[in-house]
Amino acid sequence: MKRVFLTGKFLAFALIMIAVFCFGQSESIIRATEDWPTYIDPAVGSDFSDCIAIVNLYDSLVFPNADGSVGPHLATHWDVTPDGLTWTFYLRQGVKFHSGNELTAEDVVFSVERLLTMGEGFAYMFEPFIDEVVALDPYTVQFKMKKPYGPFLSTLVRLYILEKDLVLQHLDSGPYGEFGDYGRKWLLEHDAGSGPYMVEEVKMEEYVLTKKFDDWWGGWEPNAPEYFKEMATADPVTIRTLVAKKELEITDELQPMESYEAMAKMPGVEVVRFVPGGMNLNLMLHTRKPPTDDVHFRRALAYAVDYKTIANIIFPGSLVARGPVPQTLPGHDSSIQPWEFNLDKAREELKKSKYYGQLDEYPLTLSWCAEVPEEEKIALMLQANFARIGVKLEITKKPFGSMIADAQNMETTPNCSLVFVAAHYMEAGGMLTTRYHSQSTGTWEQCEWLLNPEIDQMIEDALSTIDTEERFNKYHAIQQKLVELCPTIWLIDRAETRAYQASYVSWFVADLVHQGKKIALPLGYGLYAHDMKVFPEKK
Amino acid sequence: MRDSTVAIDISARSAYAERLKRAWYRFSRSKLSLLGLLMVASIIFIAIFAPVVTPYPEHAGAFVDFGNTMHPPSLEHPFGTDAMGRDILTRCFFAFRGALIMGIVVLAIVVPIGTAVGLFGGYFEGKWFSTIVMRVTDVFLAIPPLVLALAIAALLKPTLTNSMIAVCISWWPWYARLVYGMTVSVRNEPFVKAVELTGMNRFKIMFSEILPNHLGPILTKMTLDMGWVILTGASLSFVGLGEQPPTPALGTMVSDGAKYLPTYWWISVFPALMIVIIILSFNLLGDGIREMLTSGE
Repeated sequence: MKRVFLTGKFLAFALIMIAVFCFGQSESIIRATEDWPTYIDPAVGSDFSDCIAIVNLYDSLVFPNADGSVGPHLATHWDVTPDGLTWTFYLRQGVKFHSGNELTAEDVVFSVERLLTMGEGFAYMFEPFIDEVVALDPYTVQFKMKKPYGPFLSTLVRLYILEKDLVLQHLDSGPYGEFGDYGRKWLLEHDAGSGPYMVEEVKMEEYVLTKKFDDWWGGWEPNAPEYFKEMATADPVTIRTLVAKKELEITDELQPMESYEAMAKMPGVEVVRFVPGGMNLNLMLHTRKPPTDDVHFRRALAYAVDYKTIANIIFPGSLVARGPVPQTLPGHDSSIQPWEFNLDKAREELKKSKYYGQLDEYPLTLSWCAEVPEEEKIALMLQANFARIGVKLEITKKPFGSMIADAQNMETTPNCSLVFVAAHYMEAGGMLTTRYHSQSTGTWEQCEWLLNPEIDQMIEDALSTIDTEERFNKYHAIQQKLVELCPTIWLIDRAETRAYQASYVSWFVADLVHQGKKIALPLGYGLYAHDMKVFPEKK
Repeated sequence: MRDSTVAIDISARSAYAERLKRAWYRFSRSKLSLLGLLMVASIIFIAIFAPVVTPYPEHAGAFVDFGNTMHPPSLEHPFGTDAMGRDILTRCFFAFRGALIMGIVVLAIVVPIGTAVGLFGGYFEGKWFSTIVMRVTDVFLAIPPLVLALAIAALLKPTLTNSMIAVCISWWPWYARLVYGMTVSVRNEPFVKAVELTGMNRFKIMFSEILPNHLGPILTKMTLDMGWVILTGASLSFVGLGEQPPTPALGTMVSDGAKYLPTYWWISVFPALMIVIIILSFNLLGDGIREMLTSGE
């Protein structure tokens, strides 16, 4: 009898626990989707998926505003010497890491050194410029620069601060001497941050579940989500089903337009569309592989693209690209005209190419990203248009992971790669560096293998220029030079489309869209869960 | 016992004609077999004359028409149009070509190889050669054909040829095992022993005395396999390992349409239906052939 009673109690307890767990999650959670891999280590991750998780888990010295400017965050204020070589940041006091320990200047120094030593993720932004970082006192940190760095403040939104002691407790064997693997293995599934959310669970290839950090220094508004979950699925049928069942609050931006149309008809669901601060779709052309190593051949292809169909029908709301830098990004050269769709001009350029007359011997290869179904439409359209000028295009659908692997090697990179690229910080210089500086070859962000010392030098020179106007003029010159070299066919400045549960979620991005305001947030910040609200009772 | 040998004897033409007549009678007794034959003939006809019988032959190549996407089935487009504005009926009919080529080429390769391996293995049963060959066969048989084909196709560049190679590698053991079993069962029969006593060459014994007894079951299995080989090919193209765009492939079409289900159901459903029809046709035909060959014994 006692056993039955105990069993009954146990069952009741289990049921309550299950109910609490399930209710707890469904009560106040924002679930968003994005494609895997998601590297939550701020010294490793840099793509859209990584950034969404990182901005929620970690704090940076400064924080981006929706208009593209930056404001204080961990640093309350800062000084810079007139020569631009010494920056001093004064840290907010009483900021706690998720472990409960206080964030100090030592942690900032450690985070910078870790990033620069590992040399991945956003390290490229700082490595050529930062000479030394010193903690002057627990709340003051000083950056000494090798050379002036114009957009330094804008780039600091990408410098995330980790807790030194916690990382040091979790070192594994690795290539970094006394620091072993610098905590890389542990940070794959854990965080060492002070951000508004902390890792609850990471299930590889499935999701990153984070929980609200109640002691976050910035405080909380009522109805802020208790949980934020980034889910690794992009399958359109799954996404639509989840949205219909109200098990997904904000979709990714990779869905077919037909899917968004279907979701817009679901009760309580709203589809928002906006041109974010700097994302463009590129047809990257391998400049070291025949026949795309010929500039005339590349220009011929550029004339054989129907840009308006891409901007108006395939990705509605987008702008036809005008050069390598998105038009919404500060530093864009507005004098650059878009390429026109003109098959006669394409044929003329083709005649000037050294491959003219032997086009059959040089079929082009193109990879498109399996996670973005709409890219197939562009690929097939290019195939049809290129065929009209006698160029054969072989299309391959590749998972993003395979495209990353292919891009690592000059031989395996295809002639053409359809790739979306987003600005890591809100200035043209960042995008020009990740896209065309020789240091970014071998990554998915530069499948062109441009390796042009003149462009490298121009980019470095521009970045070292402190005066904004002068720096922007230098960015303009780089863009004009790139248009001349035509290493890429810049297709569109992409409008981002997402569906969200407007009936019970308040999402600041949707509010800005409704108010008709400009949205120039760096990658990932559109899903900053701290600034969202959930009203489960309205479900 | 040596029925088939008699049937192919040139000196007995009238008897051969008589046998054909009887075979056709046995085959045509089943309406389903006739239906299968008719359907297979239609599929082959459509595949060969696809550019003539389809309404929009240009839609099978590099073609897009974004003003005409996602139209539901209508008189103009009986199977509707897809996300690129292409006529699905046209693309299905053109996809028959790849499907049939897949089936025919794969069987043309695996049947001779599997048969030869099975014949040698069976005739020399107990010898080291037979043991090695049949254990290798068993290893291949242990892995499901689709899984093996997927693994091989994933290693190669995705093309129709490579997917055929992948299916071939996964399919020959089934014929080897079939022929091996039948060869073992007849190798000690008096007629084999008798010709061995005459000193006839062993290869000749295998191919002219033993093999003709197996032709019926091999033919039946071939017809029944045709559908399954095509299905395996479609499965490979479903996951992107077969024919590459813009060439239409039924598996790819099903996969492309799946992301628009259930709203735009026609993009997936009609190509899937075509796969069902192809497999059904060959199975009905195969059943008829089996009926014809077995009820005559």
